[in-house]
Amino acid sequence: MTLVLDQVSKSFGGLAALSDISFKVNDGEIIGIIGPNGAGKTTLFNLITGIFPPSEGKISYHGKNLLGLRPYKVTALGLARTFQNIRLFGHMSPLDNVMVGAHCRTKAGVWRGLWRTPAQRKEEKSTRERAQALLQLVGIENDTDSPAGSLPYGQQRRLEIARALATEPQLILLDEPAAGMNESETEDLRLLIKKIQMMGKTVVLIEHDMNLVMNVCDRLVVINFGQKIAEGTPAEIQKNPLVIEAYLGREEA
Amino acid sequence: MDIILNQYYLQIVIFVLVNAILGVSIYMTLSTGQLSLGNAGFMSIGAYTCAILTVKAGFPVYLAIPIGGAAASFISLIIGYPALRLTGIYLAIATLGFGEVVRVIILNLKITNGALGISGIPTLGTKISKMLSSFGLSRFGGLTAQQTSNLLVLVVLIFILAFLVFFCTRLNRSRVGRAFASIKADESAAEAMGINTTYYKLLAFALGAFIAGMAGGLSAHLTFFIGPKDFAYHRTVEILSFAVLGGSDLIIGPIVGALLLTMLPELLRSASEYRLMIYGALMVIMMAFRPQGLISEETVRFWKRKLGRRIKQ
Repeated sequence: MTLVLDQVSKSFGGLAALSDISFKVNDGEIIGIIGPNGAGKTTLFNLITGIFPPSEGKISYHGKNLLGLRPYKVTALGLARTFQNIRLFGHMSPLDNVMVGAHCRTKAGVWRGLWRTPAQRKEEKSTRERAQALLQLVGIENDTDSPAGSLPYGQQRRLEIARALATEPQLILLDEPAAGMNESETEDLRLLIKKIQMMGKTVVLIEHDMNLVMNVCDRLVVINFGQKIAEGTPAEIQKNPLVIEAYLGREEA
Repeated sequence: MDIILNQYYLQIVIFVLVNAILGVSIYMTLSTGQLSLGNAGFMSIGAYTCAILTVKAGFPVYLAIPIGGAAASFISLIIGYPALRLTGIYLAIATLGFGEVVRVIILNLKITNGALGISGIPTLGTKISKMLSSFGLSRFGGLTAQQTSNLLVLVVLIFILAFLVFFCTRLNRSRVGRAFASIKADESAAEAMGINTTYYKLLAFALGAFIAGMAGGLSAHLTFFIGPKDFAYHRTVEILSFAVLGGSDLIIGPIVGALLLTMLPELLRSASEYRLMIYGALMVIMMAFRPQGLISEETVRFWKRKLGRRIKQ
């Protein structure tokens, strides 16, 4: 069992954003989290990654309690994420963006950086090479000197994935990676997600693109108004009356 | 030769260099996107620590100056830990308050001699000349003793500034520099990418304080006298304006800002009554037309393309 959420609730003031969410993610799975806008999906990611704590409930990762950990520590444990609204370091080069991701797996401090010790140079070189490999994996040209913020939209989304992968996660949380992508870009993304799974990583995916979700996910969790209304394989979910109701509304009797 | 080595010009160049070092200190804290207005406070801690050590305890200058920097750095860690939870304008106000607190404390302590300040601080020039004459080198060519000592001070300051530029450039292209830049760009994204933002913000704050403290120690040993008034609010604004005018993206920005703003009053000597007005107008114009400062990353990219060759930061 990789990631376990046990009766997690979160309320902002009096508003219950999430209530009693429980589910488990197994190693090597691709899990989709779907639900209408405002259902609380991104809030769930923020709880897992320690941006803010849940009001109630437990979250653990490989048996380790994630509650109370600062986000950087959660990342160091092997959970990485991307953001729904792209949050790249806009003025830095794509390569530097990915290299920032490698921060928690490298060590050189001020002193070594100042004198460029052999250890620092070796580390820097391997960081750069791995970053270049990741850029290649997600399909971004690395000859560009232009800042990440000026890349086309679809590439920015993929760059975010490369940056998250640079933290060497075992589990990666993707928040609407296909948003704003056209059909062929979404297809590339599907292949990329499959590749990430082949690398032995677990993927948790928030996505509105049903075609992508149904094709790529092993299991789905459906959230509506902060509550889990269904969980199962894509085929089961498609037939679930509660899910159909959440998305299409109830038929007038 | 005499015109170039004019006492007055040398003095101005020395002030330019000290201000450039202060410019580097604010660049350091700004490199994580933290607007700290405490640099005058750190400068005064450095200056007083250094002056007290040399005047009252007989420490050699070359030891007292780094100790002054370390003292400022130490204080910055104590106030930085709680203060760096604040961001933007709130941090600016808190650090501004800190600067005033330091000034009032200095004004009321016995060891700092209150409002009278500390005088009779041995100047760096005489110290260096003495050291040289003990080696039997009292003068070079046709230079007077005064010119020689001023020139030597100049060399020392240029060396320190060059080292700081080297330090920052190296840092920028390392793991730590990338962490700084990512925090400046988006703090919570940086944290989510595995960067301990508290640690790196505190590190940048302490490094900035160290540099400011050292600049304070240097200035104490250049002016013979220091008093609480030297490090008041106007000093903070002055340091900040180096970064505003020159730009804070690249290290060269605040240095150019320090150069221009230190030269400006000298050039405007004939219009000295209007000096502050011109200063203020300059700030308003910068904010309106070029908020990123004279030199930004974009400027460098533009000139790189224009000149068709690579200019290193």
